[in-house]
Amino acid sequence: MIDIAGIIAEDFLNIAMITLGGVLISLGVHFVPVGGAPAAMAQATGVGTGTVQLAAGAGLTGLVTAGFMMNVTDNMGLIIASGTIGAMIMISVTMLVGQWSYVYGVGCPPASAKVKYDPITKDRQDLYVSQGTEGHGIPTASFVSGIIGAGLGGLGGSMIYFYLLSIENGLPEADFIGIASIFAIGLFFVNAVIPSYNIGGTIEGFHDPKFKRFPKAVLASFIATFLAAIMGVVAIGGM
Amino acid sequence: MSAGGGSGGAHSAIPQNNIIAFGVIGGLAGIYGAHFLVDMISPYMSFLGALGAICGIVWGASAVRRVANYGLGTGVPSIGMLALGIGIIATTFGLAVGGIAGPVVALIFAALIGLVVGVLANKVLNMGIPIMVQSMIEIAAAGAIAIVGLSTSMIGTFMFFDEVVNGVVVAQGVATGVMTTGYIAVIFIAGGLAILHPYNANLGPDEKQDRTLACAFEKGAIAMIIAGIVATITPLASGAITILIGVAIWYISFSKYYKLVKRDAYMISGAGLLPSKEELE
Repeated sequence: MIDIAGIIAEDFLNIAMITLGGVLISLGVHFVPVGGAPAAMAQATGVGTGTVQLAAGAGLTGLVTAGFMMNVTDNMGLIIASGTIGAMIMISVTMLVGQWSYVYGVGCPPASAKVKYDPITKDRQDLYVSQGTEGHGIPTASFVSGIIGAGLGGLGGSMIYFYLLSIENGLPEADFIGIASIFAIGLFFVNAVIPSYNIGGTIEGFHDPKFKRFPKAVLASFIATFLAAIMGVVAIGGM
Repeated sequence: MSAGGGSGGAHSAIPQNNIIAFGVIGGLAGIYGAHFLVDMISPYMSFLGALGAICGIVWGASAVRRVANYGLGTGVPSIGMLALGIGIIATTFGLAVGGIAGPVVALIFAALIGLVVGVLANKVLNMGIPIMVQSMIEIAAAGAIAIVGLSTSMIGTFMFFDEVVNGVVVAQGVATGVMTTGYIAVIFIAGGLAILHPYNANLGPDEKQDRTLACAFEKGAIAMIIAGIVATITPLASGAITILIGVAIWYISFSKYYKLVKRDAYMISGAGLLPSKEELE
């Protein structure tokens, strides 16, 4: 039988950091310009897919880049930075290619319907929003916001991965990496869906009024991730 | 966006409690049946695990149908991914600490995380869906059954660790056989799609329980066929019967689904071929 209390006491730092990672993912999702189905028809600002798909795309890239860096070094800073940058690159590419489709394919200018002036470029927005839509494309503020969000998500994801892999146990290394990665992916999905319920499926970025709701999702993610982190650390630590 | 249907709950010909019993009892019976009968009779019995997974998948799809009918605001796929995300966490924990009780422990802990997420969704995120808590418990538990069931049918056991006799591995466990090899990713997507897709494909004002569930059986059968393909290259599970039964279930449920689609359609008309260039001019 596993000494559950002993493992929790011994690896409490890991549990705390995994929980923090989950909270960072949850916060990061609020920054990502998620347009959902309306954006896929260029009727809302943001990338035309759901939170989960965007967060998973960026987060899994972050895990891969963090894992790759882990091959060559065990310096925590480098591993986590690698995961962060990987996720940021992935979301930038997604947004850029999406932007090409909106501008050259659909033929609409990137415009936000939530603010009159872009908070970064100070460009007028409302004049360019087509009638009957909630904006279209990915304006500069949303683009920058998306990069920040993916960075936070990648940071959180690679922290979860790193601290799962620094739990002491008796597993062969290949098994350990497999279990830690799939566990990190599971946590990633849970923490991508919770904020997506909080924002009701769509958000433009940090300038969107819905962004102010983030403390609620962060609290919910904190509780859910803490519970899951205890289970993960007990399972892996007891092996 | 807001995923289909008004607020009021879906109408069901089969009560949800019957489907819960079908999912839990059928799922666990299939998983334990596969685990023990593979040892006792032959590796061919590993197909029972996938049958258990189908029970879990149908249960999950039914729960998704009920909760998503209220309109989640995010599209149906998110809840399927949440189910499998929770399922993975609970399965790793349950199988690692539970030993022979692993699937039951995984089920209970998935339900526990589902309960917490459901309460958080209603109390903290103010989603205000009356059946949210019960549905999250059901969806998470169904996700766990789908994962354990498909894993069992892939490698013939649900024990987490390799069985080692005198330093020689005699039977792969879930850790090496499913997780390290990456088959878990296949389970994640095949199981997740099977749970989220039926309602996502059928939603709308004319959504009917029997049509959605027929679609769930069909998607479960596809997951079963995939598990069978994996089982052909693992030593203690045999894929042939799994694939055959999977194809049979797929054919029966797809025919049934096609019949129900024709029943519910207002009109079916053949559109014919595209007009030729001359006809258009």
